[in-house]
Amino acid sequence: MPYVLDCEIAANDEAAPAHRRMRVCAPQIAREAQPGQFAMLQTADGYAPFLRRPMSFERVLPEAVAFLYKVEGEGTRLLAAMRPGQTISVHGPLGKGFSIDSTISRHILVAGGIGVAPLPALADAVTRACRRPPDVVIGARTKRFLLCGDVFRSMGCEVYLATDDGSVGEKGVASHVLERLAPNPDTQIYACGPMPMMRATAQIAARSGAACQVSLEAQMACGDGACLGCVVESIFENEGEKMVRVCTDGPVFDAQHIDWNAHNFAYDR
Amino acid sequence: MKPNLEVRIGALRMKNPVTVASGTFGYGQEYARYFDIAALGAVTIKSITLKPRAGNAPPRLVETPAGILNAIGLQNVGLDAYLAEKAPFLRKHGATIIANIYGSQPDEYCELARRLEEAHAADAIEANLSCPNVHDAATARGPALVAQIPERVAEYSRALRAATKLPLLVKLTPNVADIREPALAAQEAGADGVSLINTLMGMAIDPETRRPRLANVIGGLSGPAIRPVALKMVWDASRVLQIPVIGMGGICTAPDAIQFLLAGANAVAVGSMSFRQPDAALQIVRGLADYLEHHQIPDVNDLVGAIAT
Ligand SMILES: Cc1cc2nc3c(=O)[nH]c(=O)nc-3n(C[C@H](O)[C@H](O)[C@H](O)COP(=O)(O)OP(=O)(O)OC[C@H]3O[C@@H](n4cnc5c(N)ncnc54)[C@H](O)[C@@H]3O)c2cc1C
Ligand SMILES: Cc1cc2nc3c(=O)[nH]c(=O)nc-3n(C[C@H](O)[C@H](O)[C@H](O)COP(=O)(O)O)c2cc1C
Ligand code: FES
Repeated sequence: MPYVLDCEIAANDEAAPAHRRMRVCAPQIAREAQPGQFAMLQTADGYAPFLRRPMSFERVLPEAVAFLYKVEGEGTRLLAAMRPGQTISVHGPLGKGFSIDSTISRHILVAGGIGVAPLPALADAVTRACRRPPDVVIGARTKRFLLCGDVFRSMGCEVYLATDDGSVGEKGVASHVLERLAPNPDTQIYACGPMPMMRATAQIAARSGAACQVSLEAQMACGDGACLGCVVESIFENEGEKMVRVCTDGPVFDAQHIDWNAHNFAYDR
Repeated sequence: MKPNLEVRIGALRMKNPVTVASGTFGYGQEYARYFDIAALGAVTIKSITLKPRAGNAPPRLVETPAGILNAIGLQNVGLDAYLAEKAPFLRKHGATIIANIYGSQPDEYCELARRLEEAHAADAIEANLSCPNVHDAATARGPALVAQIPERVAEYSRALRAATKLPLLVKLTPNVADIREPALAAQEAGADGVSLINTLMGMAIDPETRRPRLANVIGGLSGPAIRPVALKMVWDASRVLQIPVIGMGGICTAPDAIQFLLAGANAVAVGSMSFRQPDAALQIVRGLADYLEHHQIPDVNDLVGAIAT
């Protein structure tokens, strides 16, 4: 059940240039939050911005949750300015998270850029469910923006890196590294990142017979399935099912259910 | 003494003057996990059409200063699913239901109203004659929303009046030169009340990509940004009407709602604010009761039109 709670900020520190990690004390939310779910954070008391901002749970701790975020615009700038001891209104947990099938032998997490945010909580849960840490592929523009490598290594994950400029790891995108890891029908892939990277990942999964879950993004207003602003096109043809809501039907979807050809990449940033 | 909060819109009794705006509260289910939705004067549902609709291509939503631009395009489950799944939930929870309907012809509105009445799936009908986001009606970029043409407002309202005994509300658009004309047309055709305002047409462009921020190019603006415009339209319309007005547009708090009552609204609807604060409408009911007690006003109806000029 989602809550709307005023929570105390425990920490809000830089994680990389223009990226921060905020930990908030939220025992009720932490008890229920699942990897892949998110919260809507109120960034201002006034109406600039008016809407809350969706953020995935990076970690679900015993009494707290952590968010890892990129400073993009006004809302995230205001988040970045918040100090420990202040309170923030947190609405969550929301959405449908990742599902973990422990009968599958190999689990690979694939992240592009800030898409890495929900994956530490997932790696934790996969490790517990499968008694073995998953493999993780992290892609970023350049070395300075590579996030969470140490977090995954400390969990015992095998970590593969890719950067656009080759400053660390393989030169190229995360989906190229994934291809080299040769997923097969006994592999579960979980991906979060820019839409082109997730489409490429979905195609690799489809070709190799691997199962693939993707965590999508969209502009959101309510987070509760009411406004219908956050939809993406699914492969389901009938009028009532064509548009699926990222906030309540997702954000995690089976990659096969998304109509990747319908997505208009020109609107992505 | 507890002040009276009950209001009437024609034969519709609302236990307090606060409902929610169509399209901002789903079918009630989405918000019932936060509070008792029967505590509201009424729940106004997302516009329903005879058949389910997928709505417009994404992106459909973008934030603008103190507001939201949306081009949802009336995605909805359709009448049959509403009757089978949504109305029973609202009834079970004891909610008073204002069923917002949309059609492309008067016939469609009439069929929706008749079937809702037969199934006891509505306590009032709100006819959405003012959706700016439907491209099948050639309205998305053209001038012709039904609610922009008083003669058509009269035609649709008359047809609906003949089709149903349920209290009839007509929802109007602010995208007109003089709101009094369509409001009077609805009244003369037998409507029990008018709801105003729907969203103001607007647009936003991303200067980096040169693309409109909405795939539909244009959308409807809502939220606190439109509140002063909405308030003035409620004031304009209520002064010439004998029938009640449900006022909406950027209402976020009890003091906002009170402004609308003072300007002449008999009831109010909370829209976009529910997105930010899921129990905003309930908090406004409470804030209104506190205000009446604090000012020793025995009846909320005493506030209606009580602007001091
Ligand atoms: C379910 C979900 C989970 C998310 N989790 C995280 C997370 O863990 N960490 C994180 O950093 N971000 C996450 N995001 C994205 C985050 O919500 C946005 O970056 C944030 O809302 C931007 O707010 P702003 O006010 O700073 O920027 P704005 O001023 O709103 O926007 C700045 C720029 O970013 C673009 N933009 C804003 N939001 C999005 C978006 N959702 N998708 C694509 N472009 C966008 C705008 O078009 C604009 O150009 C998530 C989004 C969703 C839907
Ligand atoms: C996302 C969204 C969807 C809406 N959908 C409908 C709708 O289906 N039918 C309708 O009559 N009005 C619809 N509206 C308009 C609202 O009911 C209301 O008239 C308008 O938003 C102004 O109120 P607000 O500023 O409080 O949101 C919608 C508004 C929003 C923001
Ligand atoms: S954000 Fe409102 S329906 Fe998804």
